[in-house]
Amino acid sequence: MTRIGLEIHCQLTKLESKLFCSCKAEYRNLAPNSNICPVCTGLPGSLPILNKKAVEKAVMISLALGCKIPEKIAFFRKNYFYPDLPKNFQITQYNAYGPTSIGSDGKIIIQGKEIKIRRIQLEEDPGRLVYEGKSMLTLVDYNRAGTPLVEIVTEPDFETPKQVRIFLNVLADLVENIGVSDPYLEGAMRVDGNISEGDGNRVEIKNVGSFRDIEKALHFEITRQQSLLEREISVVSETRHWDDARRITVSSRSKEEEQDYRYLPEADIPIVLIRNESIENIKKQMPESIVAKRERYVKKYGIPAQVADVLSSDRFYADLFEKSHNERNAKEVANIITTDLLSYADTREKKLELKITAQHISDLADSVMDNKLTRNSGKQALQEMVKTGKSLLDVISSLDLGHVNDSGSIEKIIDEVFQEEKKAVTEARQNPDTINYLVGKVMKKTKGKADPATTLDILRKKLSS
Amino acid sequence: MNLGISATEFVSQAKDGAISVEEFVAKTLDRINRVEEKLHAFITVDSQNALAKSKEIDKKIKSKDKVGICFGMPISIKDNICTAGLKTTCASKMLENFVAPYDATVVSRLKSEDAIIIGKVNLDEFAMGSTTEFSYFGTSRNPWNIDYVPGGSSGGSGVSVSALECLGSLGSDTGGSVRSPASFCSVVGLKPTYGLISRYGLVSYANSIEQVGPMARTVEDVAFLLNIISGHDPHDNTTVKNGHVNYTQDISSGISGKKIGIITQMIGEGVDKEVVSATNRAISKLQELGAECIPVSLDAVEHSVAAYYTIASAEASSNLSRYDNLRYGFDFGTEGYEFKAFISKARSNFGPEVTRRMLLGAFVLSTGYYGKYYLKAQKVRTMIKAQLDEAFKKVDFLISPTMPILPFKVGEKIDDPLKLYLTDINTITANLSGIPAISVPFEMSNSGLPIGMQLFANSFEEKKLLQAAYALQETANLPEVPL
Amino acid sequence: MVERKEIEHLGDLVKVELKEPEKYIKQVEQIIQYFDRLDAVEFNSDDTLRNEVDLENLRDDTHEPYDISLIDHLKKDQNNFIRAPRMV
Repeated sequence: MTRIGLEIHCQLTKLESKLFCSCKAEYRNLAPNSNICPVCTGLPGSLPILNKKAVEKAVMISLALGCKIPEKIAFFRKNYFYPDLPKNFQITQYNAYGPTSIGSDGKIIIQGKEIKIRRIQLEEDPGRLVYEGKSMLTLVDYNRAGTPLVEIVTEPDFETPKQVRIFLNVLADLVENIGVSDPYLEGAMRVDGNISEGDGNRVEIKNVGSFRDIEKALHFEITRQQSLLEREISVVSETRHWDDARRITVSSRSKEEEQDYRYLPEADIPIVLIRNESIENIKKQMPESIVAKRERYVKKYGIPAQVADVLSSDRFYADLFEKSHNERNAKEVANIITTDLLSYADTREKKLELKITAQHISDLADSVMDNKLTRNSGKQALQEMVKTGKSLLDVISSLDLGHVNDSGSIEKIIDEVFQEEKKAVTEARQNPDTINYLVGKVMKKTKGKADPATTLDILRKKLSS
Repeated sequence: MNLGISATEFVSQAKDGAISVEEFVAKTLDRINRVEEKLHAFITVDSQNALAKSKEIDKKIKSKDKVGICFGMPISIKDNICTAGLKTTCASKMLENFVAPYDATVVSRLKSEDAIIIGKVNLDEFAMGSTTEFSYFGTSRNPWNIDYVPGGSSGGSGVSVSALECLGSLGSDTGGSVRSPASFCSVVGLKPTYGLISRYGLVSYANSIEQVGPMARTVEDVAFLLNIISGHDPHDNTTVKNGHVNYTQDISSGISGKKIGIITQMIGEGVDKEVVSATNRAISKLQELGAECIPVSLDAVEHSVAAYYTIASAEASSNLSRYDNLRYGFDFGTEGYEFKAFISKARSNFGPEVTRRMLLGAFVLSTGYYGKYYLKAQKVRTMIKAQLDEAFKKVDFLISPTMPILPFKVGEKIDDPLKLYLTDINTITANLSGIPAISVPFEMSNSGLPIGMQLFANSFEEKKLLQAAYALQETANLPEVPL
Repeated sequence: MVERKEIEHLGDLVKVELKEPEKYIKQVEQIIQYFDRLDAVEFNSDDTLRNEVDLENLRDDTHEPYDISLIDHLKKDQNNFIRAPRMV
């Protein structure tokens, strides 16, 4: 049995300022060391001043992930030396002496699977290191130092890399939705994973670049661990990193001595009191949660549970749904989106390339419901609209789509088919299950326009006569 | 021109045009030149700027323009408080070349009231010490007898005020570092309530405990400075909004009817006999003024030194991590080094006391020891505060001698760190609990060495405390500084 | 009780090269022993003497660039980077 846990660092890039000072939170593409002040460079005498919105946004993330939020939160120092750390300690949160971080003990259900959240904490990002070829020096840029980060640690509840990918997509959507972060910016969302097979040791996978890479890295690692176990070789508990060029995980430096971080309370930041009133205000500012959305879809529109599951956890398509449906075609719209559209565009890039609009989908749903188009024609029309962006009417005429339901026309086509497929007809008379082949032929001749029910009806009558 | 006037007197004379600020500052600089060879209070003297500023202020006074309430009074600043454009070395090799591009809040508040920063004064390296002997630039000397220590860590502040090299000083007090030099140098030194004064620009040593503290020759001068530097600062999240208290107003209202508790643990065993009898005389004087003095026992005091040094070392070991000489510090090339080796070598330039405290700090915070030392020490803080709160239900103030011993000779206690730590036993209680405490010069010992008395009040009761200190000050009859 | 190895380890934790670790052994040991008296302290209170601040009173999220080019006051190279030796 595979157990995967995640540690996700999410930058709050949409905030105006850093976690402890008023420098810009969004540091990308700025000239080196141009976005700094005494506080984020840790100059002597400087003191951290906590950003209210960062705490509020972290509360939102905690709420969205079902976490408990303590009445009082505290900050701690994690002491270690590194060139990108201006104070040689990081101001972070720490729960070893009590649950004082912004969130703990949460859970989220993604497409039926429950993932428990161990804790959520607010902390500062260090600066950035630039390596100059083979030189013994590293160049340090503190523009990023002090950028607010939310660290989310899950329990090892994931069983497959696919679950991990779906969770990460939901999380990315969530933070974008709350207005905290653009998770697709380079470095905005960093994921480390830990993975174990059966009773084997846990391996940490660090420094994975993108969401896609995480799935690949996890797949590789599972395979690696399983093959070791098959040969009865025990898995070493270690840290590995993903080598993108070679598409493998590689052992990082040999098991380093456990770092002693000598945590102590950050006395420059007082204990922060988060009253229920504040939490209620924050809740009001939050967009609808996935769970609430799913329930609304089921209750209000009668959308089937499985369809609602998929639709509610994809913000892009949920938004499209909201814009596309009217009073009567909600269920059909949901169906078109989750069954057909999703298969054309399931990644962020593909979604952004879609030429289809809410109007397209609404028109399509109405046409199918009004029997102006068969489902089959509808699928063809959708595919064309996605590619070209042409209106439904244009597509119907250019592809000669439509809905033929008059028995006369259909009977004519069926007679043609009976002429051309004598063998199949004989077989169908003996074995009624094979009738679909003939239905298919009718559809082909009519370019999918023939009404399926009427076609079947007439076919059956003719076969039994 | 009498350099020995109080800051308050200076203001009234300068305001009236009775003295020229430029002349006063020039004479002060002259005095500094003459005595510094013996006293070594200053690390940096800013003569050019001081004189230029003094001329400006004289002009403003003459043309009846608005002048800040300090009227150009020369103030010295402990060299662990940042001053824009002037070095802030913390008396350490590690910051030998450091010039902050910003003023500490307390400095900018003084400057905006037209105080003149005459220079930066000596301290124990990074404020860790009780005698100023741990300064990288060499110790300062007590103006009452230059073979003796001036106290510490704000030794330079105590000396410069006492030896008439300035009218006031800002020091910092973490375990007694303002009150100890105040007592040893026969000047007034206040450690305010934690959170009353901004620490922005005060180089951190033990950030849950330390405070900037004003020092001057009279209590009313200290109150005057407190009015300017105290109050909430958006640059310091640990400052508290305390309303606008005027500390100089009604300062002479006396202590008739007030109750004063004598902390029994602070005048018992181990306290120098002369100090004990001076304390008894101080108590009598206060009784004559109408105060009722009763003994008060605070048994938590017994654990205060251990608790203080545990917490202070722990915080120091973290606060000083930033000094790796990469962004600022002193000259030291990075060529040929690996990161850990580089910074370890650079950091070997800390002095022995700082190194000792960082080692202790690393120890008490290392895995497994947090509960045994650091957490226990924090419990002692809470215990002390609880006992103090109980005491303040019965009394208005507490009293003790500031230091349990007389000033001692340079070099006498430098090789026994623990012994030196124990001399802080009377001052540490106020730091751990956060309550304000003030040292008032009271007497000279038989050998002409200063003895100071310490008064405490509960949190944010500085106004009351200064009134009691003023009353005590008025009973003292002290000689002029011999230098 | 406190050995040279321990002192060296502490020196490594705080990244200070100790030229003569033995010098610190006796003093550190003596002081830690003094700290051990804290074991005898019994005081049950969850109070920590720490200041508290309400979420609503924290700093507003506004961008205010620092008023000077701070990098010009630090040890920078010609491209405005800080140079540090590599961590091996």
